[in-house]
Amino acid sequence: MSLKYQAVMWNRQKKIYDSVLIAGVVLYLGLFSGLGAIFHPNATAETLLIRGFGTAALLLLHIILSIGPLCRLNPRFLPLLYNRRHLGVTMFILALAHGGFSIVQFHALGDVNPLVSVLAGETRYTSLSDFPFQPLGLAALLILFLMAATSHDFWLTNLTPPVWKALHMLVYVAYGLIVLHVVLGALQAETSPVLAALLGVGLAWVLILHLLAARKEKLPDEKTYPAAADGYVNVCAVSEIPEKCAHVALIGGERVAIFKYDGKISAISNVCQHQNGPLGEGRIIDGLVTCPWHGFQYRPQDGASPEPFKEKVPTFNVKVIGGRVWVHPQPNPPGTAVEPARIGE
Amino acid sequence: MPVMLADILILLAAIYLCIGLLFAIPFAFFGAGQIDPTARKATAGFKLIIIPGTMALWPLLAFRWLKGVAEPPEEKNPHRLAARGPENNPAREGKG
Ligand code: FES
Repeated sequence: MSLKYQAVMWNRQKKIYDSVLIAGVVLYLGLFSGLGAIFHPNATAETLLIRGFGTAALLLLHIILSIGPLCRLNPRFLPLLYNRRHLGVTMFILALAHGGFSIVQFHALGDVNPLVSVLAGETRYTSLSDFPFQPLGLAALLILFLMAATSHDFWLTNLTPPVWKALHMLVYVAYGLIVLHVVLGALQAETSPVLAALLGVGLAWVLILHLLAARKEKLPDEKTYPAAADGYVNVCAVSEIPEKCAHVALIGGERVAIFKYDGKISAISNVCQHQNGPLGEGRIIDGLVTCPWHGFQYRPQDGASPEPFKEKVPTFNVKVIGGRVWVHPQPNPPGTAVEPARIGE
Repeated sequence: MPVMLADILILLAAIYLCIGLLFAIPFAFFGAGQIDPTARKATAGFKLIIIPGTMALWPLLAFRWLKGVAEPPEEKNPHRLAARGPENNPAREGKG
């Protein structure tokens, strides 16, 4: 929630997050170079740096890809999601350093443009050991650039969250390209099976986490709700909703978050206007629905952020009859005030 | 990839990004605030940080700026579309 854009809206949480991130990266690079120099005394400093940056980027990419499904499986991981975009930008910088040093080391000394040399230097597509793996890395780097360059909220707002998210889903394409880049590149020259095993474990970890999260995600959507003659659908019992929390139901092709608070029930669209976070997995804090992802807030009665903020989500008419919650599936325009249903009336 | 094709690709990418950079500077100072009111009072850091993205997406931004767009578009999701009513919702009219 911002009234004017800044490069970064710093707060205590972000400062801690970024300090831990930078310390982790520096520690990793230091350890990698130190151990590399001990175990591979013939390796040059450039080679160690290229490998250090590359493996750091790959490790960070695995962490980034794990955060989303981990948060779906257990909300305790949500603090990691809060500043995930800084992880993405850091990962791009590491990948850029890996690519930049590699191009200087392997392509800058000839009389051909180094980038042309990357793209056209190797053409044996049928050979496993001589496959042109570097263009795969370059393509992944381009995707990571696009993602890092559009990570600010300005892009999220102006592309709209669904388009922005679709663009950022390209991270999976980048991941695939990077895995191939490593398998067809570094692994071909590697005699020890350790790197191959680590990559396999990483790939399996990412796949399994995503499958588990997808299974959990599907469960609430399979329910259908009986409608009465006035169009309202019977969603749940009041007692099923924990105080200051929501029951989430798929109504009108999208999820609705039905909140119980202070003896009242209100329903708003589950889709946060910021980055489409799941509002129904948030809580009511200080009388406001608070998104679990980055803390944007909305009034439960009208789905609008408190002044001076301008975010709004659609609201739904609700009523409580005999201890059960009924919701009208026709959404009201974002920010429309709806009288909350009183529990016990 | 043949060298000539690689040469052409690199040249086209360089031209695209150079135009993007030339466009990005006035856009960061004037255009961003026109297509998105929140960018009007933006800080210098913000103006700097949007330059790489502007270089990548300049055709879209140039189109919006030239068209005089004054607000970011509203996202399309089933609830927001349904809330607009049938006249603004092609899916409910059976057109989409
Ligand atoms: S998605 Fe970012 S605050 Fe809701």
